[in-house]
Amino acid sequence: MTPFWLTAYVLMWPVIVAGVLAFIARAFFKEWLDAHRRGEPMI
Amino acid sequence: MDDLQLQQLGGPLTIGLLVLFFGLTMLISLRISRRKENADAYMTAGNGIGLGVSAASMTATWIWAASMYASATSGYVYGISGPIHYGLWGALMILFIYPYGRRIRAVAPRAHTLAEVMYARHGRSSQLMLAGSNVLGSVISLTSNFIAGGALISMLSPFSFSQGIVVIAGGVLLYTLWSGFRASVLTDFIQVCAMLGAVVVVIPAIFFAMGGPSVFIEGASNLTPQQTSFFSSDAFLNQGAPYIAAVLAYAIGNQTIAQRLFAVREDLIKPTFITATVGYGATIIGIGMLGVVALYAGINPMEGDLNNLIPQLAGTYFGPVLLSVFFIMIIGSLASTADSDLSALSSIMMADIYGRAGKRKADPRLMLTIGRATMVIATGAALYFAGARMNILDLLVLVGAIWGALVFPVIASFYWEKVTNKAFTVSVLAALAIFFPVRFGWIPMDGAVGYVFDVIAVVGVGVVAGLMTFGFFGARAARIVGFIAAVAVAPFAIGFLHDYAVLSGSLIAYAVSTVVCTAMSLSNQDGFDFSRIARMTGDFDVEEAEPAAASAAAPARSGSQIPQTR
Repeated sequence: MTPFWLTAYVLMWPVIVAGVLAFIARAFFKEWLDAHRRGEPMI
Repeated sequence: MDDLQLQQLGGPLTIGLLVLFFGLTMLISLRISRRKENADAYMTAGNGIGLGVSAASMTATWIWAASMYASATSGYVYGISGPIHYGLWGALMILFIYPYGRRIRAVAPRAHTLAEVMYARHGRSSQLMLAGSNVLGSVISLTSNFIAGGALISMLSPFSFSQGIVVIAGGVLLYTLWSGFRASVLTDFIQVCAMLGAVVVVIPAIFFAMGGPSVFIEGASNLTPQQTSFFSSDAFLNQGAPYIAAVLAYAIGNQTIAQRLFAVREDLIKPTFITATVGYGATIIGIGMLGVVALYAGINPMEGDLNNLIPQLAGTYFGPVLLSVFFIMIIGSLASTADSDLSALSSIMMADIYGRAGKRKADPRLMLTIGRATMVIATGAALYFAGARMNILDLLVLVGAIWGALVFPVIASFYWEKVTNKAFTVSVLAALAIFFPVRFGWIPMDGAVGYVFDVIAVVGVGVVAGLMTFGFFGARAARIVGFIAAVAVAPFAIGFLHDYAVLSGSLIAYAVSTVVCTAMSLSNQDGFDFSRIARMTGDFDVEEAEPAAASAAAPARSGSQIPQTR
């Protein structure tokens, strides 16, 4: 495997992690806002 | 590299980071605390948490400090395929158990622990096997996380190991004690943000600090042909295959996962498990890549201990800012798992040891006291074990074996009405009775004996493959896949599999429990009515202030209205 592909192999994981983090954070704040609007505790 | 001086955080900065981390989690815990906590919410947060919280919590719980270190070790030892053989299988197991999770939730919508469900399905002995293995497993996990925290603090700060474990234990206990599982899952969101956010920064930062792409050219000679191969048989046989067997058992048997399964809103089980699969996989494989890069760079772990590799890289290449980010990443990973372990332990003691024992009605106030006392005692025990630097590896093997032996009987109990308490109990004990001599080499494996155990282990391969298929595609597909997997593996496995004691022992545990449980259940003429489980695993703490709602819900879900023995 060439250094280019090895570099991509190493650096692709933090990119995926960033995507997952964005997804979780978006879902969390949406639920938090919904709960806030309803005046109910989130959990 | 051996005489390198590691960068340290300094006393005030370390204290500041710990106060920031635990202060924030404590603040969240205080915000959601109630003067009068509900016993059911203390264990499952009301069975209706949303996707953001549940996905964050499942991800944070499945990622622990030891998995980060182990993935990097796998990358360092086995080369470029090593992190895949650690992280990918661990991630896929979350995905493979999700159909089982849906089934468990369907038959026991308001349960608190898996052991409680086993009590409703079978009786006390099955319940106590699952509960006992989880108590042991959670105390070991707690100990392991305290050790990881103490080691990190002693390596990257002026404070000692003992001071480190006390601070970590105290911090986790403080924010979890009052609100239990509710605090655990909500703080998991902050912890997962800190952890995943740090991973996004730490991996490229260390990679480029070590030289970036050029390290692959300059260090190519440091790798063996196996280490440069994506299809390394060394990596699969020594890391991947034993890990597949182990994590399937962990995913099914572990109360920390089951607790989140019972807590999440039922229609969100699938997206929760998929998000956790991707999140766990990318995080752990990504951290494992640092081990691969260290291998290319020719770095030797401090004191020859591979667990030092990741902190060593951070201490070598990072200044105070990035080192702080790294520090929070590890503290987040161990705190999120430790608070889950405390919540799991308290739920087991509340629901299984006290709540579902005997005919008397459980007192929710006393349950809460039992839950909180359990957390304090468990923290003390884990501190003692961590302080004594007890070797927990053998205990971990024991728990893995118990869970491996439990997987088939537990899953079969949710689908097959013929499985009996006797079949469950005998099959697990038989599997353990054969596992230990194999795992610890008490039986000479020369000649025919080795071949016999290899054949049993090959059956275990079929069982694992079948179980991974069954949840998604049903019994017929599982039998076909299991048969094909066993036949395909047999020519390569028989004759040498017994040389790999860890893998062989795990597979034999699967095979024996499956064969014995199936054989004993086939002769049972009576079927079990699965609707009984829902009636026997309802809420303990029904609000007296809402008599109308409570009485309307009671016939369907309240265990306190139903006789608790069969």
